[in-house]
Amino acid sequence: MKHVLGNKKAIALFVVPGLILYVGLVFVPVIWSFVYSLYSGTPGLSWSFSGLKNYSKLLIDSKFHESLMVTIRYILTTMLGMVVLGLALAMMYRFWLVKFKNLIRTITFFPVILPTVAVGQLFRKIYEIQPNYGLLNSILDAIGLHDLVQPWIGQASTALGCLSVMDIWVSVGFYAVIFYGGLIDIPDDIIEAAKVDGCSSWQMFKNIIFPLLRPITITCLVFAFAGTVKVFESAIALTNGGPGSATTTLSMYMYNVAFEYRNYGYGSAIAIVIFLICIIGTRIIRFFDVKEA
Amino acid sequence: MEKKTITPVDVIKKIIIALVVIVDAYPIFWLFTCAFKKSSEFVTKPSFALPEGLYLKNFSEAWTRGNMGLYFRNSLIYTALALVFIVILSMTIGFAVTQMEWKMKNFFADFFLLGLMVPVATALLPLFQIYNNTGLTNTRLCLVLTYIAFGLSLSIFLVTGYMRSLPREILEASVIDGCGIYSMMWHIVFPLMKNAAVTVLVLQFFYKWNDLLFSMTFISDSKLKTIQTGLLYFENEFGTKDWGAIFASIAISVFPMLIIYMILNKTVIEGMTSGAVKG
Amino acid sequence: MKKKAMALVMAAATAISLMAGSLSVSAATDPDTSAEKKIKVLSIWAEDSADGKILTGMLDNYTKDVNPNFSYEYEYVSASDLSTKISTLVASNDLPDLFAYSAGVPLRELIQAGKVVNVSEELKAMGDEDKVMDSAKSIMTSLSDTDDLYDLPFGMNIEGFWYNKSVFEDAGVEVPTTWDELLQVCDTLKEKGIQPIATGGSDKWPTTRIVNAYAYRTMGADAVKKACEGETKFTDDGFVAAAQMVADMADKGYFGEGATTVDNTTAEGMLLNGQCAMLYDGSWFTSSITDEETNPSGEDNIGFMGVPVVDESVSEASELPANCGNILCLSQDKYDGAMAGFLQYFVENVGNYAMGDYQSVRGYTYDVDTKDISSVTQTVIDAIADAKTSTAWWEAYMNDETKATAQDNIQSVLNGDMDGAAYMDSIEEAYTISN
Repeated sequence: MKHVLGNKKAIALFVVPGLILYVGLVFVPVIWSFVYSLYSGTPGLSWSFSGLKNYSKLLIDSKFHESLMVTIRYILTTMLGMVVLGLALAMMYRFWLVKFKNLIRTITFFPVILPTVAVGQLFRKIYEIQPNYGLLNSILDAIGLHDLVQPWIGQASTALGCLSVMDIWVSVGFYAVIFYGGLIDIPDDIIEAAKVDGCSSWQMFKNIIFPLLRPITITCLVFAFAGTVKVFESAIALTNGGPGSATTTLSMYMYNVAFEYRNYGYGSAIAIVIFLICIIGTRIIRFFDVKEA
Repeated sequence: MEKKTITPVDVIKKIIIALVVIVDAYPIFWLFTCAFKKSSEFVTKPSFALPEGLYLKNFSEAWTRGNMGLYFRNSLIYTALALVFIVILSMTIGFAVTQMEWKMKNFFADFFLLGLMVPVATALLPLFQIYNNTGLTNTRLCLVLTYIAFGLSLSIFLVTGYMRSLPREILEASVIDGCGIYSMMWHIVFPLMKNAAVTVLVLQFFYKWNDLLFSMTFISDSKLKTIQTGLLYFENEFGTKDWGAIFASIAISVFPMLIIYMILNKTVIEGMTSGAVKG
Repeated sequence: MKKKAMALVMAAATAISLMAGSLSVSAATDPDTSAEKKIKVLSIWAEDSADGKILTGMLDNYTKDVNPNFSYEYEYVSASDLSTKISTLVASNDLPDLFAYSAGVPLRELIQAGKVVNVSEELKAMGDEDKVMDSAKSIMTSLSDTDDLYDLPFGMNIEGFWYNKSVFEDAGVEVPTTWDELLQVCDTLKEKGIQPIATGGSDKWPTTRIVNAYAYRTMGADAVKKACEGETKFTDDGFVAAAQMVADMADKGYFGEGATTVDNTTAEGMLLNGQCAMLYDGSWFTSSITDEETNPSGEDNIGFMGVPVVDESVSEASELPANCGNILCLSQDKYDGAMAGFLQYFVENVGNYAMGDYQSVRGYTYDVDTKDISSVTQTVIDAIADAKTSTAWWEAYMNDETKATAQDNIQSVLNGDMDGAAYMDSIEEAYTISN
């Protein structure tokens, strides 16, 4: 066994080609941009070494602080929403669906495959208020809640929440599939036995299903975290960061600084911060895994 | 088994299921209706109204102005090439870092996952300089390589999940039967990992098919551009957009994805419910 | 010691020859109309749009009529991706031979780094200085803050309010000429349940243009330029009043509900379909007005009313915001005789070609007849001819950080989250920090 699975040549053959591509095209650019973050200006135009100046600027840049807060609020709501609703949907697949299992699972995965431009435009229309009421405002109006009709993505108080709802809608099918993969691995007899013992649904979930799904849950959380920290395209498509800077996330601010303000060095510094947040956040989530497993 | 009586709880369950299905399926329907609308309809009618008629000019605009025919083929080439390599590489790496025995395997497993944390825009300028210095900009190769490299982390992440549940006994049995590592990989691991492969394939297909940032930056030759760049043809200098044609383009680009997904999803489900993994 | 002295002399000689070298670079290049060359063109105008056809038409005609060895590769990117594209190309020292770019600070950076050709010098040597319209020239040199032209115009737009004639008629209101009348008209329309003005608050610039309109009417055409050069402050009363004017108009509901969610395409559609009475937009809007599909009510139903005046002694009625849109630049590194040949052909012919075949003014002089022209296009041409002076747009002279603040926060003004003073404070702050 060992001589087969410890075959050095085979390991090299399996890992090295991918490793070269990954290091060369993903990792080198990251290190490259770390080097860039020590410079100020635009490469090719006004490019000078400035040491850690970009990093000290992070401390006083109020736009950076705002976008950091926006990102944190967004991560907390969206990550939890994706994972909790994904689990709920997977439970539905597993325990409620009798007929049309495949069809329904296929349909609930649809949002994942739609291009972001299309999703953004769809939700703009759902939240629309001028020139015509969109779906949400039409429904509110129709059921007599005219007071609740409002520019959902046009005001700072609701715009970020609307963005979260859209991204949860997009991703929930993806997490549901991952959870479902874990749920069908739980043998039917365990569940039947629990039912015979008179377990309520909630007890069964708390005592049997959730503990068995813990590793998958952690994986999903890590994945959702990494995805939400980098949120970029969907925010551009729905609100373009507005109104004001109410939905300007870190990634979007980074992109603007680097390419719109043409301050590539400072943009790289923000990118490094995003990268660090990702790594630290992931460590924290993994920490729960180790401690309680 | 319980008797089949319809309780109020069942009705509520059915309603919830129906709602979930509507919420997820309606947008596709909406997308296709928008593709048939005239531009003035987008302003005068509520966006959820059905189109006044089948306005097919959007599709001919999308096909000719957006160069959909050519771009479609290009996208297919890039995506297919990248997917083949992503699947093979993520399988071999996933197997190496979970089941094989070597010192650095945990380190490399984590190292590959770091890629999930990289904001794509960070890599844009360095990558462009790498390709520009090696003369690779405006080649199919640079886009395929980028797609593979940026697809690896997620794919390895997904594959390792499946790989960990690979029963050790099967591998042991195959060794006893005289399998070497390569024939084990080919005859035992790959077939058992069919579901993993399909999952990776389906997901990566969507990401690569929908990519705009990379293709826009690395490809300037209009003969080599991808389907998503076709969408840009319907927005002018001052931001005026031809929404009818944009939705027709999206519909054209989404349609094959729907078909591919419908076909492959069945394989995923079959594999998951009756595959050898569950034993 | 001798060696050291020798080295110094050598160094000085090298320095002088380097300087001489750099001087010779700036001397005009002789056009070569037979050299073989394939140029790269980076454009934000799709090949089959009117703009794209004019550009590719000029390139094709040059190959056909003058230099058969000349060819080109045309790359189209969307306007919103232009700045990213140029950034990556500049960083790799690979600017295309001919490319579209944004006037103002972005172009100024390229000029300072010596990346773009001094167009004035070249045109002077060719004897074609008069081919670029004086009005275009003054707009462009003022934006780049140089005496010479470093870019070529590719458009000539004026801006102002457009109105829907049948909506005005139905409501029984007259076209306003002063700002007070404008407000009264808005009031009347609002009372009759008609949305007075649509503005694309989601795209941000359509709304800052209205602040700009009131600011230049009350403070003069160069008010923003002065503030951007540090002569005055953005927190001056005049600016605060202009921003407060828009805040008040938003508060009274003149822009309708949720104006921050409306994009300019929708706002244009609302005017064309009679869902609002007025819209501030540039003359590029004429292409939608004359298109039956976007404007079912016909081009005669839409009128141009310019910008209502406040004080004729500060800014007279014919003075309108004008711009050349995105401009064309030539890469200094790639510039040679072959390119000079095309440049000469381009400036000498594009004015007539654009007017003759596409009825559009591009910032170049023309001497063809302007008959068979649609009435709305004629209005625009007349307004351009009438304007003795013009002004730029709100963010024209701002650096990118200040511009971003000015644009982002206008949404807060529309929402009522910021008043005029807070808005101008935020711009002043961004301006101070970024300098």
